[in-house]
Amino acid sequence: MPTTIIKRPPPHGGVLVNRVERNAYRAQRMAAGAPRLELRPTLDRRTGLPIRNVYREIVSIAYGFFSPLDGFMTRNEVEKVLAERRLLNGWLFPFPIIFDVSEEDLQRLGVREGDRLLLTLRGRPFAVLDIEEIWRFDPIDMATRTFGTPEKNPEVVRVPFDHKHPGYNIYANMTGIALAGKVTIINEPRFRVPYDRFWYPPEASRREFERRGWRTVIAHQTRNVPHLGHEMLMKSAAFAGDIEPCHGILVNAIIGAKRLGDFTDEAILEGHEAINLHGYISPRRHMVNFTLWDMRYGNPLESLLHGIVRQNLGCTHHMFGRDHAAVGDYYDPYATQILWSRGIPSYGLNEPPHETDYGLRIRPVNMGEFWYCPKCGEIAYSANCAHEKERQRFSGSFIRGLIVEGIEPPPIIFRPEVYQVIVKWWREFGYPYVNSRYLKAKEEQGEFELGPMEVPGA
Amino acid sequence: MSGRTYKIGVVLDARRYERVRGTPLEQRAVPIFGGALKMVEIEVSEETARRLLQEFPRSRIDARGFIEELPVAFKRRLFELMVELGRADEGAVRAVLERHLDEVKEQAAKEEEYIPPP
Repeated sequence: MPTTIIKRPPPHGGVLVNRVERNAYRAQRMAAGAPRLELRPTLDRRTGLPIRNVYREIVSIAYGFFSPLDGFMTRNEVEKVLAERRLLNGWLFPFPIIFDVSEEDLQRLGVREGDRLLLTLRGRPFAVLDIEEIWRFDPIDMATRTFGTPEKNPEVVRVPFDHKHPGYNIYANMTGIALAGKVTIINEPRFRVPYDRFWYPPEASRREFERRGWRTVIAHQTRNVPHLGHEMLMKSAAFAGDIEPCHGILVNAIIGAKRLGDFTDEAILEGHEAINLHGYISPRRHMVNFTLWDMRYGNPLESLLHGIVRQNLGCTHHMFGRDHAAVGDYYDPYATQILWSRGIPSYGLNEPPHETDYGLRIRPVNMGEFWYCPKCGEIAYSANCAHEKERQRFSGSFIRGLIVEGIEPPPIIFRPEVYQVIVKWWREFGYPYVNSRYLKAKEEQGEFELGPMEVPGA
Repeated sequence: MSGRTYKIGVVLDARRYERVRGTPLEQRAVPIFGGALKMVEIEVSEETARRLLQEFPRSRIDARGFIEELPVAFKRRLFELMVELGRADEGAVRAVLERHLDEVKEQAAKEEEYIPPP
């Protein structure tokens, strides 16, 4: 008999990937004798600033955020992703996930297909990569084919991608030499404060939902400190559910390389936490965690990755707002809603991701936008408020501009407690946002530490 | 040129509002967010918008068509010129670019490293 009750979906692909070796003896044995490669950030060749660090992809693969992906892609798998946005096993996946190395490192290591590589981070053993294939690519071609062009993807791409687009820039700055194969963490990360209390990888997240009695959970994507527009998006979208509104709201922050001028990761996490600590959304219904990923800003493609990650975390629904995971005007502002309502055939996505074989089980909640309307006297939803002349849009950029000018945003658009979080980290870093000093310090420290580990013969 | 226009919003808190009270600029100050703040909107041509984006690479055009994340030094100088010239238009923006660009850029470079917290 059909039921309207929605249950927690299985992981994408059926099983959560878990490639973390927690047994110290086995971990040492896995790494013994393998040549070492220190993980380094991908730098923007024009600015010298870090724009990506592959260790974040290793964490997200190994802990199952990207399930069923269990390693770095072969050439064939990347070609399949670019043509159909599917892995070789048929499951949807939006982006090429590539482990690239420099020519010098490749020569120095002298590795071949079938070899194992010990990956170190800040000098300490971190993971092993079992090399299945060594292949080469043209980074500019990879960047262009990943995101598309206005001519080839007219449904959603408005402006040609270039180096100002962070995702394009990541692929364009890769070395062009890829090592493909499964990756296993052999030295578990120990997250620093404040990341540690937000660390709920998929298995732990699912357990936590169970403990809280949340059957339905709606995911909220963020890379920002929340303003009232975000809060109203969360509150309104969470009315979706089944026979009752969603039990939980999961704010899953994307933590990774930032752009200059972004809010710091610490302020993003604690800013969202302040929403529940101060009762704007009850902590019984709202929690914050994070995923390590250097965001590609791929709007509809990014939303597909978000759907995968949040389904793996155990969410039943995902809210998508205007300009989802977007930057600039490369994409139609509602490109994500186009994907999740009718598909984007030019990307090989002929149907919405949740209505296709080997697709997702998480359900989209496609939303419009929110603005302040003085006539309604509230943060109003675009489909409700018809006061076109009166409406006052506000954006994260606008609020950042106020803050940096020394003006506290008014409570009607920004919670004072969230502002206090920003000020707390402003005092810590001497700056309210990401600057080049923060970027460099973050790459030196990372979000976690690794304990010492002896590896015989490595 | 497509003839498209963009906007720069100069926000007036209580201190700034006092300085424009009784001047023609006061008429341009529109209450925003329930009157919590006031803002003067300046419309600029695409040519000026492009120049600003080029001079200040961190600035960006947001979803509303506003040029945001201009340096604080630029916004402060623009406000001072608005008061001095008694006008809030593209001419005031261009005056900042023509007369004060070096000084604004110098201050903006310092802003990249440190801004005192409130």
